[in-house]
Amino acid sequence: MNNKEYDELIKKTILEEDVSKSMLVAFISGGVMGLLGQLLTEVFMQILNCTLSDAYLFTFMTFILIGSILTGLGVFDKILSICKCGLIVPSTGFANTMTSSAMDAKSEGFIKGIGATIFKLTGSIILYGVVFGIIFGFIRSIVL
Amino acid sequence: MTYHYNNVYINSKYSLLASTKYSPIIKDNVDKCMDDYYMGEKTIELAESKYQETTIKGLLNKNKLLSNEIDVLISGDLQNQILSSTLASSKFKIPTLGIYSACASFIEGLIIGSTLIDKNENQKAIISTSSHNLVSEKQFRFPIEYGAVRKRVNTCTATGSISTLLSNQKSNIKVESSTIGFVTQTNHKDANDMGSAMAPSCAEVLFKHLNETNRKPDYYDLILTGDLGEYGTKIMKLYFKKKSNYDLKNVIDSGSIFYKEENVYAGASGPACLPLTLFDYILKQNKYKKILLIATGSMHSVVSTNLKVPIPSISHAVSLEVS
Repeated sequence: MNNKEYDELIKKTILEEDVSKSMLVAFISGGVMGLLGQLLTEVFMQILNCTLSDAYLFTFMTFILIGSILTGLGVFDKILSICKCGLIVPSTGFANTMTSSAMDAKSEGFIKGIGATIFKLTGSIILYGVVFGIIFGFIRSIVL
Repeated sequence: MTYHYNNVYINSKYSLLASTKYSPIIKDNVDKCMDDYYMGEKTIELAESKYQETTIKGLLNKNKLLSNEIDVLISGDLQNQILSSTLASSKFKIPTLGIYSACASFIEGLIIGSTLIDKNENQKAIISTSSHNLVSEKQFRFPIEYGAVRKRVNTCTATGSISTLLSNQKSNIKVESSTIGFVTQTNHKDANDMGSAMAPSCAEVLFKHLNETNRKPDYYDLILTGDLGEYGTKIMKLYFKKKSNYDLKNVIDSGSIFYKEENVYAGASGPACLPLTLFDYILKQNKYKKILLIATGSMHSVVSTNLKVPIPSISHAVSLEVS
């Protein structure tokens, strides 16, 4: 049996998973997260008298804090298995990735463990976030 | 190639199940059962070595043996540079061979041990292996608390350890023959789906064993495969049918039956999965006389996955005669 035939055999035996249900769940949970974020921003603006950009920043930080604490308590992955991608795409997913990497490396010490591996998975988000930020910033300054 | 043995028996075993998640089928039969990922150690890596140390010590005590009466200890596990096997064997002064064939390590150990002691009289070997769910998650997949969305084809590594005593002394389990398999590689690159990566090597070694011993698949009462999982077993049967025109009916996959509870995974995996199922479930039934064990190992690493190398896999077969 050559490789091509074997690939077809795998495809025939393992049917594609139906993702429509997960997508619907992610759509709803992601929407709820968005709503929560907006409410938090309003709270920061109306009650704590923050400016709009500060309020966005604080909302972002609150989400990261909650995500990290839930990961530390070991419940984030259980909530995520119910809420699917609605929790990964917002900054809670970012917090989960960073905290879980740090927790794994805790036993290896602060420098070579946590320090070296905390950005193991999120490093690429930060790097390419900055790179594309610069590129789109340039495009925006030229076009507009 | 296939080796035949006349003088090798499995005398005793000591098994440890360290996690009862998804209620494993062997829960009531193991020598020691607990639900403890740490076992008093600070890290999960050290805990795995403690598992292995416990089973070796338990086996020695069970048979009233001293460590200097054992001629060789052969052990393997999934950790980088087989750390837990090395740490566990450092507690005993037994000549040690460390081996690695991923989830086929136990059967590889059985082959090496049987070959070493077959021509002698009154020699004893201990074959030991262990696996730890969290260690494998951390090493091969994602950080433990990371909320990765699982696929159907994912397997869940069994947590536990087992040590067996191999000697020239007669017992009811005879090691009859063994076949060393070769490494196969297809185009398959998805490390989530190890069953599809391992199925061809399993079918190939089965074909090779039957060919070299001039037997038919129904010569065996049971062909017990390692950890192909639900889908891997189906693929293996189809692959074997295409190669030899035989319908395999007597195959049980230990990974697929390991967990009693319905869960999102395709089954269990890990080097401890096959021996635990064999000794604490299959042999307890007293139903099968001729058993062929085929352990399958997916030899990928984080580096090979990142390099996008198709997953190489290896399988070994051992035939047992139970009386």
